[in-house]
Amino acid sequence: MSTTLSRPRRWSLLALAIAVTSVLMFPIYWMIMTSIVPSERLLVSEPPLVPPADATSISAYTSVLSDVPVLKWLWNSTVTTVGAAVISTVVSTLGGYSLSRFRTKGQQAMGFTLLFSRMLPGTLLIIPTFVLFANFGMVNNLWAVTLVNTAATVPFTTWLMKGFVDAVPVEIEQAAMIDGCGRLGALWRVIVPLLKPGIAATFTYASILTWGDFLFARTLMGNPDGWTVTVGIASFIGEFSVDWSGLMAVGLISMLPMVVLFLLLEPFLTKGMTTGSVKG
Amino acid sequence: MTTKPRPKSATPPPTQSSPALRREHRRRSVFAYLTLSPTLAIVGLLMAYPLYVAIDLSLRGGQISDLLNLEQNPLTFDNYGDVLTDPGLVSDIVRSMVYTLGVVLPAFAIGLGLAVLLNKAFPGRRIIRPLVLLPWAVPGVVVSAAFSWMLDASYGVVNYLLRTVGIIDSNVAWLVDSNTAMFAVILPTIWKYYPFFVLILLAQLQSVPGELYEAARMDGASPLRQFAHVTWPAVRTASALAIVITGIGVFREFDFIFPLTGGGPNEATQTLAIRIYNEAFQFFEMGVAAALGIVTMAICGALLAAAGRAVRREFG
Repeated sequence: MSTTLSRPRRWSLLALAIAVTSVLMFPIYWMIMTSIVPSERLLVSEPPLVPPADATSISAYTSVLSDVPVLKWLWNSTVTTVGAAVISTVVSTLGGYSLSRFRTKGQQAMGFTLLFSRMLPGTLLIIPTFVLFANFGMVNNLWAVTLVNTAATVPFTTWLMKGFVDAVPVEIEQAAMIDGCGRLGALWRVIVPLLKPGIAATFTYASILTWGDFLFARTLMGNPDGWTVTVGIASFIGEFSVDWSGLMAVGLISMLPMVVLFLLLEPFLTKGMTTGSVKG
Repeated sequence: MTTKPRPKSATPPPTQSSPALRREHRRRSVFAYLTLSPTLAIVGLLMAYPLYVAIDLSLRGGQISDLLNLEQNPLTFDNYGDVLTDPGLVSDIVRSMVYTLGVVLPAFAIGLGLAVLLNKAFPGRRIIRPLVLLPWAVPGVVVSAAFSWMLDASYGVVNYLLRTVGIIDSNVAWLVDSNTAMFAVILPTIWKYYPFFVLILLAQLQSVPGELYEAARMDGASPLRQFAHVTWPAVRTASALAIVITGIGVFREFDFIFPLTGGGPNEATQTLAIRIYNEAFQFFEMGVAAALGIVTMAICGALLAAAGRAVRREFG
């Protein structure tokens, strides 16, 4: 796929790519800039475009960590994200295996469910979901947020995983079963190790979605002790005098885990999108 | 969708019906449903049931005071009547469409352009690729926060840059002015969604053999013709599907508009999703909100049906 290009052509492509990337990355640059330059230098009509050498500090980070419960928010986000990502991955590995290996009626139904669940406005679902959890006394419970996010990701991740299982030849588990493995044993010992890229893609997808969730966390978590980091950040925006440096610092801190996860697993993701969602 | 012949089956139908084979067959199907059941349970409990409650809610009249005992309220179509005769509904639909198209078309164009660029071999590509995909990993609310600061009326860097270049003379209150608010909520949403297109289209392009481009170049095809005859056919189906999936997602998007404007100013950014939320949690008109949600779903369904056969081909 890599076509051979002449040398000047390649360098001009690089120049173009750098120009485009600079424009697209500007919001992140500006967040970093805002978080390390004191507000009084930025709240002027002509803010500096590069950090002034004499006035760069990490005080926004230290003051945010001491003034607002960022660590608590991050912890809540971590609990719901890890919970939802692990449950989604397990459930959709089983579901994807089932859809790939057995042609049940469920298969077509799941195809519909994927699209149909995208059609349900989250703001509509959240009303009865709120009622449902109120019924079980689970409002202000991180499990509720975890479960709702799991449900929001599972239709898509199941489909994603089916694509990965399709790529594993049936003969492999048949051989394992002839060698005395049970069906579940064959799935666990032979198929799952081959599904690592799929598991990585599913885990990343579910994590990014749950970590970024605002609607469910905001509605199901009235009590500030249970706020996830997105709800905490949104609570900043509405205020009259916004502490922009602090807000950007929290924003950047909250991005970090997902960015690291994303950079580690990005190669799997590109693959996953083709096998899973597009080639169906 | 059902008329298409089934893909080749992984489960050969039992040719002889010896008891042992039948037992094996039954065991297989038990296992098939057992492995699928967690998926069905989660989707059923947390989507189908709430949907059922939402439909029930939308059909209840009177002041709904007790959400747990809806049968106290009479069954009626009043909520639908209210929603459908409200002249504001058309404006909400139009705003939702403007928002959706305003996000999806530019995001697709950026995504396609970047995918074509990143599919070419040039130094530094390995570093550029994860960078341009990065916004996808950033929570929507953080994106909103960053853009609300950049678009700030007094000290926003966007105003400063546009003033410097000479596009505007004086600062624009992007999020507060009802003429620019829609643009101001569309911009961050594009930023969040374009990487999804890059991801899908790039993966498609990488499966195109390089020889195809070589051959086209040898035949003297211009870059434009190469795009039309090699690139576009390779990504067309994936594009249609990605546009539809993203489109449905953006149509009911909440995480950008709500923190930025809450639907204001003067309802300038009030899409259906925002209106549903405000009806339910600001005015506590649960029945109306639910009816509006069902109507939104119906509109999505109609748009999906109209979106053509590409999707059906993929999922049939």
